[in-house]
This record gives sequence, structure tokens and C-alpha cells, in this order.
Amino acid sequence: MGQMISIDPVTRIEGHLRIDVEIEGGKVKDAWSSGTMFRGFEMLLKGKHPFDAQQVTERICGVCPLAHGTASSYNLDDALGVELPDNARLIRNLCLGANFIQSHILHFYHLAALDYVDVTAVLNYSGSDQALLLLKGKISKLAQANDLYPFMPRYDSGDYVSDPGLATTLVGHYVQAFEMRKKAHEMLSIFYGRVPSFVGTVPGGVTQPPTIGNVLAFRSRLSELRRWINEVYVEDIKTIAGVSAYKPFLTAGDSGGNYLAYGGFDEDSRGDKKFLPRGVIFGNDIMNVMPMDEKKLTESVAHSWYKEECEGLHPSEGKTEPDLEKKEGYSFIKSPRYNEKPMEVGPLARLLVKKPEMFVKLASDLGLLTMKPLQFGILPRHAARAIECKIIADEMDNWLNQLKPGDPIWDKKGIPSEARGRGLVEAARGALGHWIEISGKKIKNYQCIVPTTWNASPRDKNGNRGPIENSLVGVPVPDPDNPINVVRCVRSFDPCLACAIHIIHPDHNGVKAFRVV
Amino acid sequence: MAGRVVSRRQFLKQAGATAALLGLSEALIPQVARALEELVAGKPPIIWLQGQNCTGCSVSLLNTNYPMIAEVVLDQLSVRYHPTIMASAGYKATRVIEDCKKENKGKYVLVVEGPVPKNNGGEFCTFGVGKGMKDLMGKRVPGDKPMIEWMRELVPDAAAVLAVGNCASFGGIPAANASVTGSTAVEKIVAEIDSRKPVMNVGGCPAHPDWIIGSAMEAILYLKGIGKLDLDRYKRSKTFFGKLIHENCERRAAFDAGIFLEDWNQNNQDLKLCLFKMGCKGPVTYADCPTRRWNSQVNWCVGANAPCHGCAEPAFYEELSPLYEPLPNVDILGLSPTTDTIGWIAAGATAVGIGAHYLYKQLGQKTESSKGGEE
Repeated sequence: MGQMISIDPVTRIEGHLRIDVEIEGGKVKDAWSSGTMFRGFEMLLKGKHPFDAQQVTERICGVCPLAHGTASSYNLDDALGVELPDNARLIRNLCLGANFIQSHILHFYHLAALDYVDVTAVLNYSGSDQALLLLKGKISKLAQANDLYPFMPRYDSGDYVSDPGLATTLVGHYVQAFEMRKKAHEMLSIFYGRVPSFVGTVPGGVTQPPTIGNVLAFRSRLSELRRWINEVYVEDIKTIAGVSAYKPFLTAGDSGGNYLAYGGFDEDSRGDKKFLPRGVIFGNDIMNVMPMDEKKLTESVAHSWYKEECEGLHPSEGKTEPDLEKKEGYSFIKSPRYNEKPMEVGPLARLLVKKPEMFVKLASDLGLLTMKPLQFGILPRHAARAIECKIIADEMDNWLNQLKPGDPIWDKKGIPSEARGRGLVEAARGALGHWIEISGKKIKNYQCIVPTTWNASPRDKNGNRGPIENSLVGVPVPDPDNPINVVRCVRSFDPCLACAIHIIHPDHNGVKAFRVV
Repeated sequence: MAGRVVSRRQFLKQAGATAALLGLSEALIPQVARALEELVAGKPPIIWLQGQNCTGCSVSLLNTNYPMIAEVVLDQLSVRYHPTIMASAGYKATRVIEDCKKENKGKYVLVVEGPVPKNNGGEFCTFGVGKGMKDLMGKRVPGDKPMIEWMRELVPDAAAVLAVGNCASFGGIPAANASVTGSTAVEKIVAEIDSRKPVMNVGGCPAHPDWIIGSAMEAILYLKGIGKLDLDRYKRSKTFFGKLIHENCERRAAFDAGIFLEDWNQNNQDLKLCLFKMGCKGPVTYADCPTRRWNSQVNWCVGANAPCHGCAEPAFYEELSPLYEPLPNVDILGLSPTTDTIGWIAAGATAVGIGAHYLYKQLGQKTESSKGGEE
């Protein structure tokens, strides 16, 4: 038996995640992913006015409220029989796009970059850039005061980027990125009022009509962001992916090659055509993208702290009864499966389905397309995120052009006494689904399956590891006291735990069955 | 030159921004500057813990402008532990907390985002490894350490505790399931550990970055003898939570004139119609959103033709639902046939009707909703 190490908390992600790995021969032999926080939204939406749903569900997560609010709006549109006006569809695309930009920039620079860049290398900077010299001054002062928090301490590793010029440039971009992601939020608030937690989308459409003024305000920020994404973010990703010490991470961290994309950013009023297409890939057979069949979605709770009767149900029928005494349980996250298989969701899944030219070229340049078997690891996951950020930002300019001031933004529909609905969208972190059942004009049942539930799920009833668990197997860990590569791999998925353990299940009451010890 | 990081002039500039943020007199700027300078010389250590949170308040804080977030982290505070931004993970991260507690007894500020669950020994929210061992599918691994344990260790030696956001302050959305998890507001947890420990609440779902930084600055300046710490009965700063949204709303004139938005397609950008009929909770919500606005002052909820949902109120969400229905007990159009008197009558009726409704919600339904799971 190998050596067990526990990493808790996994920081620089959203929420509470614990990773346990078994190390043997300097590599991960096995891995377990545990979500360690449970809120339980059950009961909250039961009997509530259906319009409340998006205001409540967007508060599942403060990093991706947009995804939940958007999914919830489409879910209610479906239940109410809304014919969504083009303006509303475009504004939803623009605002969701703005949050993709915010989220992707935040992820690479503020959540991931400190795994690759040595901040202390700034102390050796000898260039003449005034902004970087100012930064050097600040870091020097922190170092003198022996107060380099929150950049130190960190896991020791011999392969941080420590060239003073390059490291200082990257740390400078880390600081710039704070302002860029803030600008993306400003752009979003033009139509949606404010963010995080916003108010501008409602069942049937949006609240703020396009005007010449707000389109201009949006475009000026978008132009600046597009330039920065193109000239800084995408280039930094190429730089990191090209560091020779990081070559193993091109393939290490492959999740097993099953990918799922619901598709997102509707390009027609029925949502049949999407900018990011829908599709399923098995076993890295990337040229064989299959159509998605919603009936093949199920959730397993074999190793989740929920009672057995919650096992194997379609999400629209799901149950959630906590059982902390369950012997085989090790996570509050359930295990969603497609056709009984674990599926990776997120930017890599979406771009392998869409195959935009820029991504194909980069994958080819990095030698990824000639490998046998095909594998997509830690760095391709980051690269997909950056390129997706660029192509969405570019497309947003076209959506702005299609807005028609004066045209409708809302299709007013009454609440039916009985109805079901569903909203499938893409969140920054991957495929997101909301399901609703309305009865007596009130919410009877509301369910979500979110991206990190897919990625960070524990083993299912067949013993299949979740995608993050699977991706960790084989990752090199030369020093068990400093498992830097384990957290590099986990962070490449951009996990969001608050979403993963959302548990909105108003129809079901876990209280009676719950054992108090 | 590079060594001299923050000049006197920069301190004065920052002090001006801080004074403006807190609504302090310009005469106090030199004093504020001196306090900020002292602050930088001995940056106060911050331990930021996350309970049953969604990280929305942390993300909101990133949107700060005065000061910008890079200045907060590099120049003003010593952020020892914040799980979303810190470099270290696992035992190296939790060791930072333990070291900080030892080295800064009585000096660190404990910031808590999200409430703390108490049931089942606190197992509904854990981070870091605990003392015992547990079974993980046949392997022996270290057990989990509940958030409540961390609170018991860290509250006694903290200088003060800042609860950030509605759910840390008042229970918020996670409290709806309190019967299962025992989710509890930070203030109550702290009182159980050390009843004399100062606690300040920052409402909002999410909290506005100015409210977070401003509340913290107000507390720090107050300890240095500058300005006053004027808290309401919910331990919120009156600087930010002292005024009713309805009284300062840019669309108040439309309310008084009785012109209401009833269809989002019929909105007139110039008229700025009142959102009351779309469910606006501005008449019962205390926050400075209309003047402070959000996201670098770009907009705010009512500015986007959407109703205020009352997210800064302790009553949010459950007692303010349904969010898109008008507040009850206020029949504005039924009260007056003339446009001249409608506003006056509406305003009077609102004050009485909403006040009574609000009191009922606050006092009457709180107990009912907190045990809502047992039906």
C-alpha cells in the first residue's frame, strides 16, 4: 500500500474541497475527491412563486451567479411557453459572456497562476518598466517585513517560473487582471444592474432594453477586454504551455476522455443553433461527437452522504436525504453520470466538441493531435479556457450589432397551474441544467445539476472514479510533503464547490429521515 | 525610488477617498491619513474564514475601487488566510492560521463569510484535518475539522469579528435549512464562545465592496479615536445601512406621481418608471444603493428597470418572497382618483401599511420559517 496524503483545504477554488491521494513510486496511484460543505436549500423553494427561482438559484454560487440565473430563466421560459424576443436572447448571451470573461480571467491569474509563477523572483527584476519597478518595490517591502502573505508560504517546487523578467511580467499581469475582471463585471451590470447577484433577467426576457447609450458603454469596455485577452491572457497561456519543465502536464491530468457539453449561447429563438454546440465524446474519440440524449442522465449516491433511495434517478426526479453515517460515503457531492459514465465538463469539453480553428492549431503546435492514444491534460484545459474566452469575447461584438433598440425585450406570460420545464446552458465551468415542476401555480420541485458535480464527483455505484479523481491517477508527486502537481491538476478544472453541493430539492424533506447523533 | 512604496501624497489621496467613503468631514482627512500610515506600518493581520458560503462576497470585494484590491492586499492588510486567494493549500495553509493565532494574540481580525452549521458536531462544513482518524473506503486517513471548531479556537484571541454578507450576519439562505444543519449566524456563534467579543455585521447578498471595506475602516479608525461607530440594532454601520432605499430612490418621483412599470416592453427610459408594482422591496430596505450604486457606480438594481429584492435586509429571502409581487397591504391605485393627491396618499399609505407588514414579517414569521423543515 502506498502513502496516503490528505489535502484539505484545496485553496484557490470556490468552496470546500478535500483531496486524498495514495502515492506509490512517486506517482498518484489512487485519488478521492470530497465536497465537505452542505447547505441544503431543500424546502426553500417549495410553494414559492416560480418567478423567485432565479433570484434564489443565482445565490447558489457567487462566482457563477450568471450561469444559474440564465439557466433558471430558460427553465421558466420553457415551463411558461415563452417565445423569447431576439433582444432578450442577445442580452442574455452578452451578460453570460461577460461573466465567462470575468470567470476565466479570474481563474487563470488569481486561482491558478501562483502554481506556476515564483512571486519572489520579482525581487531580482532588473528591467526598466516603471509599473513593474513599483511592483518590485511593494514586494520588496513585504519581503523585508517578512510578510509575503498571501503569496507565501506555498508548496516548494523546483519548477516555478523564476526568470526575473518573465516572472515579474506575469505578476504584473496578475495585478492587471484584477482590474480586467472588474471591468467585465462593470460591463455586465450595464444590462443586469449589478453583480454578483443580479436582477436583469426574468422569465420571459430581460428588464433593460438596448439603447444607443448602453450599447456604446458595453462596447467600449468589451473592446478593451478583447485587446487584453488577445494580447495578454492568450499569450501568457502559450508561454506557460511552452515551458519545457511543464511538458508532462500536456498529457498528465487527462480525465479519461469522456466529455459532455449541453451547448450554450443561443443563436436562434428556439435555441436549436448554439455558438457553443451540444455534444458528447467518449474515450477521447474526438472526431466522433455524438448527440446528447437527456434521458441518459442519472445521479448515483453510492459514495455520497445521502440515503440509498436517492440512487440512480434522473435529475428531474432526484432525491436528497443526507446520511452522514453512511459507511461508504466520503462526499456531499453526488455522482451524475451520462449513460453510466463519468463525464468531464467545461471549456476543454466544449472546445473539443466545437473545434475552433485557433484551438486546433494550438493543440497541433503542442503536438497533442499526433499522440497515441490522444490525451488532454492540465495545460490543454487552461489553454481551452483562454481560447474560449477570446472567441466568446469576439462573438459578443457581433451580438451587440444585432441588438435592435425599440424592439421587444419581454414575452409576458402568466404562470400555468401545472407545467414542467428545463433549462440547459453552459456555465463558465461546464454544463449546467435546471429542472422545474410547477403545480397549483407554485413551485413543486426544482433541481439543478451543476458543472462541478460532474467534475468533482466521487465514485459511482459501478466504482467508476469521478473525472477529477481519474485525472489525478498517474500525476507525478516527487515530494509527498509538497504535492504541487496534485493541486495544479485539481485547479485546472476550476472547481466550484458551492455549486456542486447545491441541493435544491423543495419537493423532498430530508428532515424526518435524518438521524441526529 | 522603488523602495518608497506609498508616499505621503498617496496617503492623503487615500485618506480623502476613505473619508468620502465613510461620509467623514474633509477636516478629518489629515487624521485619517495618519491612521492609514500607522496601519501600513503595522498591517493588521486578517484571517478570512468561509462557512456555508457561496464566495459571492469575496468576489464582490474584488470589485472595490477605493482602494483597489491589489492595494488592499499589497499595501494595507496582511491577508494571512483567505482560501480563495492564498498560495498555500492543505497543511501549509492551516498552519498559517495556527501561527497567526500564536504570534498575534488579540491583534488579528477574524472575518467570516457564510454562517456556521452546528448540528452533528459541525460536520456539515469542514476544512483542514482534525485530530482523529477516519475510514476512507478501507484506508485510514485524518478526520475532518469542523468550521465550528475553528471558530472556538480563533474567536477568543481575535481583536474583533466581522461577519460579511447577509448569511454570515443573519443566517440568510442557508438558514432556511437550519433544522437539518444547525446553520447559525456568526454573531450568535461568537456570543456563545465569548460574549464580550466585538462583532460587526455587513449585510447584503452580496455585500457591496464599500460596505465591507468601509465597515472595517470605520472600526479601525474608531479604535484609533477618529470618527464614530454608529451601529443599528443589527450591528450594521448606519453609514451604509441607515437610509431607506425608497427615500433616496432616483425613481421616487415616479412613485409619488403614481407612474408604475407594469410591462418591461413599455418602459420609457426618460420617465424612469417606479418598480413598486413589479415587487420592489425598496420601501422596506435600508441600504445606500441608490447613491452608492454598484460595480464602479455603473448601475444598480432599480437602474436596470428591476425591482430591489431587499437583499440587505435580515428578512431576505424568505420573508420578502414573493419577490416579483407588490408588497402587501398597500393599495395605491385604489386610494385616489387624482394624480395630484395620489403620490401624497400613496406615500402615507406606504409608510403605515408597509411598516405594519414589515414588523409582522420580522417578528411573526421568523420562528415559523426557522423550523420550516419539520412540516
